[in-house]
Amino acid sequence: MQHRCFGRYWGLKFKSSFLCLIAVGLCFSPMLAQADFEHEVLPFLEKHCVKCHGGEKTKGDVDLSKIKTMADADSHPDLWETVSFVLEDREMPPEDEAQPTEEEVAVFSKWYKNDYLGKIESKPGIFQPRRLSGPEYRNTMRSLFGFDLEVNVVEAEQTITEKSLVMKLLPTDPPGASGFVNDTRAARLSTTIWDQYSYLADFALEQFSSERTGPLNSETAEKLVRDFVPRAFRRPVSEDRFSGILKKLEGKSGDALEVALKAELKTVLMSPAFLYRGFLMPTDPKRKRQPVDDFELAERLSYFIWEDMPDRELFEIAGSGELKQPEVMAAQIDRMIASPKSRTLAESFGSQWLLLDQIKDQRNDPVNLKALKNQPLDFLHYLFAENRPVMELVDSKVTFANDITAKYYGNDRKQLKRVNKPKGVERMATPNQKIDLITSVGERGGIITMPGVLAMNEGPIQRGTWMLRQLLGEHLGEPPPDIPPIQSSSKGKNLSFRERFEQHRSDKSCALCHDKIDPLGFALEGYNKAGDVIRKEPTKKKGGIEKVSKVDTSGQMPNGKAFANFTELKSILMTDEREKITRNAIEQTMAYALCRKLERGDRPTVDALTTKILDENGTWRDLIHGIANSVPFRETLNVKKTLAK
Amino acid sequence: MTRTWNTSRRHFLRGAAGALVPLPFLNIMENTAAKNLAGEVEAPLRFMTLFKPNGVHPPSWNINGGTESDFRMSPLMAPFSKHKDDLLILDNMGDFGFSSHANSARRFLAGQSNNTKAASMDQFIADKIGGDTPTRSLELTTEGLFTNQIGCSYISYDQKGDPIPRESDPQLIFDRLFRNPMGDPAQRKKMTNLLDRVSDDAKSIQRKSGREDSETLDEYFTVLRETEQRLENMGDTSAATKVDFTKLKRPLPAANLDEQVETMLDLVALAMWTDQTRCISYMLGNSNSRMIFDFLGVTEQHHYLSHFFRNFSRHNIDGLLKISLWHMEKFDYLLTKLKSYKDHNGTLLDNSIVLFGSGMGHSDNHTAQRIPIVLAGNGGGRLKTGRYLRYSENQDLSRLHLTLMRQFGVDIPSYGEATEALPGLDGGEFDQFEERPFDSWTKVEGGKLTVQGRLRMSENLDEAKVFYMDVAGQDSVRIEIEFRDFHSFNFPYHVGTPITLTGTVSEKNGRQVMSKISTLKSVFGNSKPGTRNG
Repeated sequence: MQHRCFGRYWGLKFKSSFLCLIAVGLCFSPMLAQADFEHEVLPFLEKHCVKCHGGEKTKGDVDLSKIKTMADADSHPDLWETVSFVLEDREMPPEDEAQPTEEEVAVFSKWYKNDYLGKIESKPGIFQPRRLSGPEYRNTMRSLFGFDLEVNVVEAEQTITEKSLVMKLLPTDPPGASGFVNDTRAARLSTTIWDQYSYLADFALEQFSSERTGPLNSETAEKLVRDFVPRAFRRPVSEDRFSGILKKLEGKSGDALEVALKAELKTVLMSPAFLYRGFLMPTDPKRKRQPVDDFELAERLSYFIWEDMPDRELFEIAGSGELKQPEVMAAQIDRMIASPKSRTLAESFGSQWLLLDQIKDQRNDPVNLKALKNQPLDFLHYLFAENRPVMELVDSKVTFANDITAKYYGNDRKQLKRVNKPKGVERMATPNQKIDLITSVGERGGIITMPGVLAMNEGPIQRGTWMLRQLLGEHLGEPPPDIPPIQSSSKGKNLSFRERFEQHRSDKSCALCHDKIDPLGFALEGYNKAGDVIRKEPTKKKGGIEKVSKVDTSGQMPNGKAFANFTELKSILMTDEREKITRNAIEQTMAYALCRKLERGDRPTVDALTTKILDENGTWRDLIHGIANSVPFRETLNVKKTLAK
Repeated sequence: MTRTWNTSRRHFLRGAAGALVPLPFLNIMENTAAKNLAGEVEAPLRFMTLFKPNGVHPPSWNINGGTESDFRMSPLMAPFSKHKDDLLILDNMGDFGFSSHANSARRFLAGQSNNTKAASMDQFIADKIGGDTPTRSLELTTEGLFTNQIGCSYISYDQKGDPIPRESDPQLIFDRLFRNPMGDPAQRKKMTNLLDRVSDDAKSIQRKSGREDSETLDEYFTVLRETEQRLENMGDTSAATKVDFTKLKRPLPAANLDEQVETMLDLVALAMWTDQTRCISYMLGNSNSRMIFDFLGVTEQHHYLSHFFRNFSRHNIDGLLKISLWHMEKFDYLLTKLKSYKDHNGTLLDNSIVLFGSGMGHSDNHTAQRIPIVLAGNGGGRLKTGRYLRYSENQDLSRLHLTLMRQFGVDIPSYGEATEALPGLDGGEFDQFEERPFDSWTKVEGGKLTVQGRLRMSENLDEAKVFYMDVAGQDSVRIEIEFRDFHSFNFPYHVGTPITLTGTVSEKNGRQVMSKISTLKSVFGNSKPGTRNG
């Protein structure tokens, strides 16, 4: 399996199945004595791994030959999870090499779990300021000014317009290492972005001044400055700073005052203190690790739940010093989740996590597209905002549909109230309505079989890969560049795509990933390209006789559990795979909340939350509270690095 | 039509020639031109084009009868009839067959819908003359993208034939033309001050921070330095502009579509007058526009109404005509505006060529024939206006484009399928449409009526889906057919021409009414116009 990308992840995820873990746990309880890296693990690596992953050959860019001590091992946190996974799953060494014994593997596993993972302590990440993402900037400007920066354009039905001036003008942020666009560390400020910030600031200030009611004089100007600047910086501002600004306005009136005020406010909007998060938090250089202050905590909460700056209430509570009282904090989180602004959790977090931006309509029809996209978004918002169990993501008795998506829901669609189109309107997007899934719950309950989600992944491989990566949280490597093509059916044999694909999969290097991908994907073969349920395979003509066969949706999970169709697979996901899915949901939410890729120190938080959510059939609200109260969210490391220049 | 929707919000440049513009504008462009052309005062030639979506209701648009210089403008032309002397109205433009909406948009400036690998004619012109102005060209529109058929949303295409992004917001256009921080010395000074101030901010953060901020701050400082560098590099190169743009008032956000379009037209004229650009294309809507004109009291979508045969009712026809008249009023608005600006020895319109029209004719049947095309402005004497040119044969729009491009100095041997210029625009000879004598009669055979005569559409809006065959010495034969016959025999294509029609008749209110067609033959032309350019 040359194509596995070693060290792609941060060393937390158990790629092994749940059963496998139990087996290992039974044989080697943590009570046993610790394994010694240099005497037990190192010889194992040298015997079985270094031949291909060390020295001259470094397949998959993995070089184990340089790791000689426990300290070396500790400095490669990304590596061991993968090593543990490929050993336990017997993916490595390759079949044509000598295989380690069970006992040899067990020694490594014991070391990995007890000595390596067991020693991880909960700690926060290094505090690093980061630029507001495009959507964060858009929302922050909206909250600061009280209006949206919008493009003046007629929004006729069936046309698509980027209405937000911010999103139109700013370059699209690439997702960071965490997979989320709020992780902007890699999206550097550029002169292009600078020019757009400058333009957007002018645009906002122009509109701000034209919408102002009441006179502008030194008194009203000062009042405005004293309100605007702390809100823009998301924390109190020193009297020095105020007087610096007010000095520039002194003695001016009329147009001159207007011009000077605009220039001052623009300086605020172009300052790093506004454009970036985290520059202004006071830190104690004597402490290596410290709690974030109340304003930073408020900011973290509001950008997590709202993708926006704190509102006045949250800002005032931060100022009062009460935010860290558990009941105050809990009440604020609940208030924020209940606010319509928490829809960004679905639209930004959910959409980026589950790749919902890839939902396309086959005819590129904006009305259909809107219907297909809003379905999972409305569903996610319901899960997040209405305190639904985390696992309802996979199976739920509720969905959201409109007249366009109604056709996917059989008799359940009769619950929809009819929305009449006005006369002369050829097509329009009607809002979704919440319906209970009664007859179609098996086929349609949960996010996997929403028509747009089915349609965005073409064929069983893409669908299976999506489930594996996005829901189960597996990090598959990229497929090798030299994949042999899937053979077309040879003469005389009338093989289905599935049969042909199974032949293809018999190749060992393919099987490593495809044994996991394919069962998931083929379970969805009962849904066509557009996400419709099909019950018969396209008819094959043989000797003039039409042969109609049933679609084969059966399969077997790597752990041996068999299923006949997607509904049965779904119950496997809800039981056997529950831990993986829950853990992944927590990791994804946490990476979004922290705006960074998770690190070793985050692991205890993920572990504890996973246990809690699993034990209590926990909800999304529990999950959000859990993250907001975790060490990584509430504390920061003060690591002083030498200046780059 | 009373224009009650015209509020006073949009006052930034009202009173075109300067009444409300606090600028010493009158002779400024003349002086600039004199300097640029080293003694030779010659007004620059400008090109503007205005696209009307969804074709027309032909009986309301077409001019029937009249001659080149003696003609009566049609009811739909009424809003701009006061500019008759400045117009060149072209008839029999287009080709055979039907046109999709996307094709109609491409055809409008590319001549033929299959001319998809070349630039549209406005871009050839922009390439030729755009280098002389700060902005090469502007591509403007009114509404969002229609993604099902993306071609409906673009009339301007680049050299590869790919669509050029369009802008719809007048404020953004104003800012691009008159508020560019790099283009204007006053704006540059503001930016320099800003850089100093925020740099202080960043330095004070740097002093206080003991954390790992330096990398992030470095990226910020780098951008400040680069921006400073760019400002310095600008030097005095663009200081030549004599107009003090800071005195221009930025337009307020439009309250409705009417304000938005008029504001944009104000900017079109202003951009031309201040010589910021000399080439602009502007779509009043996508070629299949679904816009709702609620400010006109019309609540149905434009596209729905434009299919007036299928969606027939008097109410719908009235709505459609209100929308079409509004388009014509905007054309009038632009012409009036251009005339109100003095430019060298005449008006801005005198030194411009404006192309107004659509990419299809009949809005329900989508004929690609008798496409509405009007030229305005004599282009500094290059066109001879005040005339109505009805060509004897269908003329591909590409011939018109080839001719216009050459007026702007674009030197190309052919464009689309056109290798020869369209004659007559400059007053020269052209092959005029002439009536040819034909017999008209009726006969009944095997229970079917055959009638030869001239086909016309009813001008009575209460029955706008009805046709008549005029027969000398008899009552006209009334034709009330279903959409199927209307479309498959391409009735609108034959309107105004003599045909022989056979069909089933029945008696309605004591009158012969043909309700089902079995054959249609054109007396002089193509009986089956085909589906070219479908």
